[in-house]
Amino acid sequence: MSSVGQSPRGWTRSQVALAFLVLSAAIACGLAVYSSASSLTGLSRAAFSVLFLPLLLSLVLSFLLDPLVSQMERFCTRTGSIFIVYILTLGLFLLAALWLTPHWQEFWSNMRTDFPRYTAQVIATLKSLMTGLHERFPMIEGYAFPAKVRIWAEQLMAAILAQTPQSAMKVGGLMVIVPLFTFFFLRDGRKIMRSCVALAPNRHFEMVRDLSYLISRQLAHFIRGRIIEAIIVGLIITAGLSLTDIRYAPMLGIFAGVTNLIPYIGPIIGMVPGILIAFVDLGAGGQFWWIVILYILIAQVLIDNFILIPVLISRVSNLHPLLVFFAIIVGGKFYGIIGMIIGVPIVSIIKITLLEIRAYRRTFRLPETALDSDRPH
Amino acid sequence: MDPLWTNIFHKKLDEESLAYFLKHLPIFSELSPRSLATLENIVHVRNYKTNETVFEENDPGSGMYMIRSGMVKIYAREQNGVEEELARLGPGDFFGETTLTAPAPRTASARTLENTELVGLFRADILELAERKPAISSSIFLGLTRVVSERLQAASLEIRRLQNQLGEDISPENVET
Repeated sequence: MSSVGQSPRGWTRSQVALAFLVLSAAIACGLAVYSSASSLTGLSRAAFSVLFLPLLLSLVLSFLLDPLVSQMERFCTRTGSIFIVYILTLGLFLLAALWLTPHWQEFWSNMRTDFPRYTAQVIATLKSLMTGLHERFPMIEGYAFPAKVRIWAEQLMAAILAQTPQSAMKVGGLMVIVPLFTFFFLRDGRKIMRSCVALAPNRHFEMVRDLSYLISRQLAHFIRGRIIEAIIVGLIITAGLSLTDIRYAPMLGIFAGVTNLIPYIGPIIGMVPGILIAFVDLGAGGQFWWIVILYILIAQVLIDNFILIPVLISRVSNLHPLLVFFAIIVGGKFYGIIGMIIGVPIVSIIKITLLEIRAYRRTFRLPETALDSDRPH
Repeated sequence: MDPLWTNIFHKKLDEESLAYFLKHLPIFSELSPRSLATLENIVHVRNYKTNETVFEENDPGSGMYMIRSGMVKIYAREQNGVEEELARLGPGDFFGETTLTAPAPRTASARTLENTELVGLFRADILELAERKPAISSSIFLGLTRVVSERLQAASLEIRRLQNQLGEDISPENVET
C-alpha cells in the first residue's frame, strides 16, 4: 500500500488492527446492502424515489425561508433564528388551517353529491352541442363523445376518492420529514455547500466557488419569486371569488395558486374547475362573467403578467413553450401530478445554471476578445 | 478574578489556530475575537504542492489568498513566453486582494515554489456574510480598505518619485532641443 510507504513512522499495531476492522466492516456492510437489493441500481432508484420529493420540498422551503433567517441572524444565533422563523411559520400555518378546516369539510361532504351533478350538467350541455353538430355533420354520428366524457369523469372521481387517504398519509409523512430536513438545510446549508465546493481541484476552486454563489443566488431568487407569485395569485382569486356566491372559493383559490406554478398551461388548468362550477351553479349571468374576467383578465393578465412577473421573475429564466410542454409531459410520466408541477422549475433551474456559467465566462472573456479585435489582421 | 473565569472569557488564541494566523495579518488585525471566529468559518484552507499554479494571468479573479506556510512566486508572462518574476511571497503575506471587491481578470500569475498552505477569502463569502452579519463584514471591509489605501498611497508616492527621477534624467535633453 502506498500510504504505508509514505507514512514517516509506519503503522503501529493498533492502527493496523483498526484499519483491518474498518475494512472488514465496510466489506460486510457492502455485501449486506448488495444482497438485500436485487441490484444496486434498484436500491439507488428506491432510495431516490423515496427521498426525492421530501428533499426537493425541503430545498424549496429552505430557499424560501433563508432570507428571513438571515435577517434574524443579526440579532441571535443561526439556530435561534431558525427556531423563531419556524414558530412564526407554524403560527401562520395554524391560522390558515383554522380558516380552511370548515371550508375543507364542507368541500368533502359536498363533493360526492356535487361532482356527479356537475358532470351531468356538462354532459347535458355536450349532448345538446353534439345534436347540433350531428345535424350539420351527419358522418360523426357514430362517435359517442358525451359517453366518453362520462366515463372519464367517473374514473377521475373514483381515482380522487381512492387516492385521498393514500395521499393524506403521504402528506402526513411529509409534514414530519420536510420541516426536519429544512431545519438542517437552513442551519448547515452553507457548510454542505462549502464541503461540496471544497472537492474542486485547486486550479478551478476559485471559479467553482464563485459560480456556486451566483447560481444559488439566481435559484433562490427564482424559487422565491415563483412561490410568492403563486401565493398572491391564489389570494387574489380567493378574494375575487368570495365576492360572488360561488361555493368552495378558498379551495378554488388554492388550486389556482398551485397550478400557477406551471407556466402557460397551469393558469388554464387552474381556471377550469372555477369556471365549470360557476357555469353550473350560477348560470351564464353577471356573476359568471365576473368570474371569467377575474380568472383571465385580473389574475392572469393584470396582476401576473403586468405586475408580478416583471417584478419577481427575470425574463431571462423564461422557458420556450415547447420546453414547458416537454417538462410537463416528462415530469408527469415520472411523478404524476407532482412531477407536472416540479418538472418546469427543474428545467428552469438547469437553464439558469447554464446561463450563469455562460454569463460568467463572457464577463471574463471580454478583455481578451477586445484585444483580439484590436489586433491587425 | 477567578482563574476559571479568566480562562473562559480570555481564551488566548492557540498559536496553531487559524484565528491566530488571521489575527496577525494586517487586514484583520483590528477584528474582535468574535469576528475572527466568524471569519474563520468563511475562509477556505487549501493545500498546494510544489510548482502548482494558484492562478494564471487573465483568470477570472474573485478573491485574495493569504500564505500560511510555504512560498509563492508572483510573475508576469512576457510576449515571448518568458516569465518575469514580480515578487516572492512567504508566510504572512497575501496577494490578489484587489479582486476581492471588484471582479476583474488577474493581472499576474501565481505559482507555489514549495508545499504551501493558502487561506482563500472570496467575494462570494464576504457578500454572503454582509447579508447575515453586516457589522462583522464591514469591519473586514474596513481593514481591507485600509491596507489597499496604504498600498495605493505608497504606489502613488513611488510613481511621483519615479516621475521626478525621469524628469531629472531627460531634462538636459529637453533643454537642448
